[in-house]
Amino acid sequence: MLEAAHQPDEVPLLQVRSVRKLFDSTEAIRDVSIEVANGEFLSLLGPSGCGKSTLLMMIAGLIQPTEGSITIKGSPVTGPRPDIAVVFQQPVLLPWRTILDNVLFPVEVLRLPRKDYVDRAMELLAMAKIAEFAKHLPHQLSGGMRQRASICRALIRSPSILLMDEPFSALDAITRDEIGVELLRIWQANRKTVIFVTHSIREAAFLSDRVLVMGRRPATIAAEFKIDLSRPRTIPMMEEEAFNHHSRELRKAIEASHVH
Amino acid sequence: MFIKAKKLDSIFWPSLITLLLLLAWEGLVRAFHVRSILLPAPSEIAFTIVSQWDLVSKHLWPSLYLTVIGFLLSVVSGVAVAILITYSDIVRKGFYPVIIVSQVIPKIAIAPLFIVWFGTGATSSLLLAILIAFFPMTINAAMGFASVDHEIHQMARTFMASRWQIFWKIRMPNALPYIFGGMKISITLAIIGVIVSEFVASQEGVGYLIKLAGGLLDTPLMMAAITALSLSGLALYGIIAAAERYAVFWQTSRDDVK
Repeated sequence: MLEAAHQPDEVPLLQVRSVRKLFDSTEAIRDVSIEVANGEFLSLLGPSGCGKSTLLMMIAGLIQPTEGSITIKGSPVTGPRPDIAVVFQQPVLLPWRTILDNVLFPVEVLRLPRKDYVDRAMELLAMAKIAEFAKHLPHQLSGGMRQRASICRALIRSPSILLMDEPFSALDAITRDEIGVELLRIWQANRKTVIFVTHSIREAAFLSDRVLVMGRRPATIAAEFKIDLSRPRTIPMMEEEAFNHHSRELRKAIEASHVH
Repeated sequence: MFIKAKKLDSIFWPSLITLLLLLAWEGLVRAFHVRSILLPAPSEIAFTIVSQWDLVSKHLWPSLYLTVIGFLLSVVSGVAVAILITYSDIVRKGFYPVIIVSQVIPKIAIAPLFIVWFGTGATSSLLLAILIAFFPMTINAAMGFASVDHEIHQMARTFMASRWQIFWKIRMPNALPYIFGGMKISITLAIIGVIVSEFVASQEGVGYLIKLAGGLLDTPLMMAAITALSLSGLALYGIIAAAERYAVFWQTSRDDVK
């Protein structure tokens, strides 16, 4: 049924199969299976603390599942890997590095030649509209600009999967909408696969190709929705009936998942 | 311009208060004809420093020399032990609590014991300085290494940074403000360690000179020695503070913006 959404001959880029996670004896995640196609924008939507971040950290290789398997292009995830990058809730930039040096941090730790990546870093910063702050320190930028820099850092090594853990939840509502549009623009230019964790219905409906609604403790996938709004998406689209229809459906699914 | 004016402001007012206090001291001593054996006037102390400079400096340099050496050894050993605390479970769980609890021992009281063990010379002074200055250095550095934000640590791991890289690129710079905080405490403690050791038993050093002048009831010389020592301590502290502004540039520049 998932395959129906994409070309049937396409092998999924990411496969999560029957994953279960126990912390001591508490079950955080129960029987989650997900397939994500190359280039897809997928959101995991659920209330705070429902275990969706745990799932994301397992895909990132920071936490091992108790049962089940996670594979990328057929190879199992056993730890952090260069084709996955994470954008966290906070920008987590290093305060003693300039924005450019922060963006180049992943290049540096892999001991790749810095000069090969400076141009790309500047391109990414330009795309995120913060190129003129390349030589600034993080504390000289606003929260929204810092988060854009952290997205540039995640993209510097051209990962095939970008994992985003409520990346805009620390920003104010107006900045949030704007940076969402920016993210889609960057995503469309690079065509990465994005897995986006959020507790905002609006955000999930606005950004995604597909939304998985997750139920609370232990986390399971309660419902799946395809968002067929046209792209590129713009802020005025959030006023349209098609958008509101999707938002209502997502809200109903979340409420239903709370009942059981 | 605004920043400069603000900096000037932070120097101007304390200087003015100090000057007023010195003038009040000078005025009171003169007005009530206080004998200089009880309390010499600031002008007399200044005069004594200049006229007896040979004697004062002869005892000042050895004390400062031991202070600086003791301080540097405390910094190196303190940071080294802090690294062990950070990376070794045995050291953190076994030794760290002992180090913290041993803080309650008044280490100055151990000075006579050091004289018994290591004699009346520079070795005792140096060891006492290190003993006192080492603890705040270790505890501050250990706190700095440990205080790395969980998300920053996770970020570094997702980008596949090794433990070695996480230490040099993240823990070390993160700990720098704490290390400098520890250095500022340690430098003043190192001075105390050296002086106390010289009080107990020594043939040279400012501690010895202060005790000698006290025995001779030469209060101006005593005050001259104390003043020279205090000003030297202030200079050493100033050097560390200046190095801090340079090394921890991302925090000092943040203060400037405010």
